[in-house]
Amino acid sequence: MATAGESKPISIQGVGKVFVSATGERVEALSPTTFDIAAGEFISLVGPSGCGKSTLLSILAGLLDASSGEALIDGVPIRGPAIDRGMVFQSYALFPWLNVIGNVEFGLERMGLDKRERREIAMNYLTSVGLKDFASKQVNELSGGMKQRVAIARAFATKPSTILMDEPFGALDALTRRSLQKQLLAVWEEHRKTVVFVTHSVPEAIALSDRVVVMTARPGSIKSVINIDLEHPRDASSDAFRDYERQIYGDLDAELAKTFALEGQVAS
Amino acid sequence: MKQLLRIAPFILAAVAIVTVWWSVILVFKPHVSLLPPPPQVAAEFWELMVTGELFTHIGASLGRVISAWALAALVAVPLGVAMGRLPIVEHLLDPLVELIRPISPLAWIPLAILWFGIGEAGKVFVVFIGAFFPALISTVAGVKRIDPVLVHAGQVLGCNSRSALFRKVVLPAAMPNIITGLRISFGTGWAAIIAAELVAARSGLGYLISNGMEILRADQVIVGMIVIGILGVLFDLLFRFIQRRISWGAF
Repeated sequence: MATAGESKPISIQGVGKVFVSATGERVEALSPTTFDIAAGEFISLVGPSGCGKSTLLSILAGLLDASSGEALIDGVPIRGPAIDRGMVFQSYALFPWLNVIGNVEFGLERMGLDKRERREIAMNYLTSVGLKDFASKQVNELSGGMKQRVAIARAFATKPSTILMDEPFGALDALTRRSLQKQLLAVWEEHRKTVVFVTHSVPEAIALSDRVVVMTARPGSIKSVINIDLEHPRDASSDAFRDYERQIYGDLDAELAKTFALEGQVAS
Repeated sequence: MKQLLRIAPFILAAVAIVTVWWSVILVFKPHVSLLPPPPQVAAEFWELMVTGELFTHIGASLGRVISAWALAALVAVPLGVAMGRLPIVEHLLDPLVELIRPISPLAWIPLAILWFGIGEAGKVFVVFIGAFFPALISTVAGVKRIDPVLVHAGQVLGCNSRSALFRKVVLPAAMPNIITGLRISFGTGWAAIIAAELVAARSGLGYLISNGMEILRADQVIVGMIVIGILGVLFDLLFRFIQRRISWGAF
């Protein structure tokens, strides 16, 4: 168990993605991008829709192959998905045929842990997301916020070096979102995984991340990287927070204008 | 009380059938060999039960259906999973399936007799045809309908091989549809065996019916029909019970 759980650095080296449609049309989703993420760092990717941020995340997960370049975890090229890189999906992706604790135990079982160990670890993580009493519930009995907490517990339970989160709170209401951000931060501060977090919400990115990566309109590339030099817990009403917001929205607005212009061209 | 509410519609249906039956007898006064009154059928039912003849026929029909249905499931479910997961398999087999599927299993009875005679193999063959397609089509649909994000979740949670992904994610995710398909295919198999036995058998509920026709015993025919109906309902209930027990979907 000791070797697992170490967070690892990620190196993205000229990673690009071109999708080829059935009619042979080539769409560049992500231009070759180079970026380094330190071990234990919390990185957010923000950008206009279709800027390739989810594509980049899928490449890091190993669910998608890069068309060019390669991504390395701790110097080792990513080849396909691995339990060392956990993922949290916007649509929760809980297994409906398993109950709550069964979902959290899923990856632990794949790692070959015995029943008692699995139970204990899963229970610990459920406790840290406040769902200890829901362990034996069916997942379809849970609200969206609770489902995502189960998914977070499931992703952290296998002690991956990296956690990839694809708009995890995008489907939740504002209040639930706020409390889940806090819980995620608490879990992250305890376990210090490398986190890559895709979001549409600028305040969310600022509240959570060490660095925010702003991406350009399609084909996506890195427009700017903003270090967030604020202590946790961060006060969203503070001037410093507002300054970051202003700066990031400034960068984003230019890209959004491009996106709209692009969509206008397609429409006309 | 809940139990009562559940069986009340069945009792109502039985009362309705007997009422219509008796009304027809009172109005049209058919000869007793064409449409006997309910008590005579009840007496025949009792007679067939006491002599054990009825159970011999039920056993014969059930044995054929269960073996053919199990055989159909053994072929249809793996094939359906392959068609649902591998586009090339689907492209290859789909035209064949679509061509054969509309042919009623009853249309296979003449060939079954030519090929297998009137022994057990022919009837198993007909039921196999009847049970195969519903099981196959539900399995294909169930596998194709799996949310891809569940497959991705399985992959990032340590299902590294195709077989692990299949056992841990694909199969359980498709299970509600597969079981529904098996339930429907048992029903179509049950319908097919009666038809096959009508034409070519010396035992089974279908034989009981066709024999009743030949010896002008409508009461025997009706007993056969009632038993077929009751067993059909019982098996459907059994499947729904199993479905609720082992499968996660809402039914």
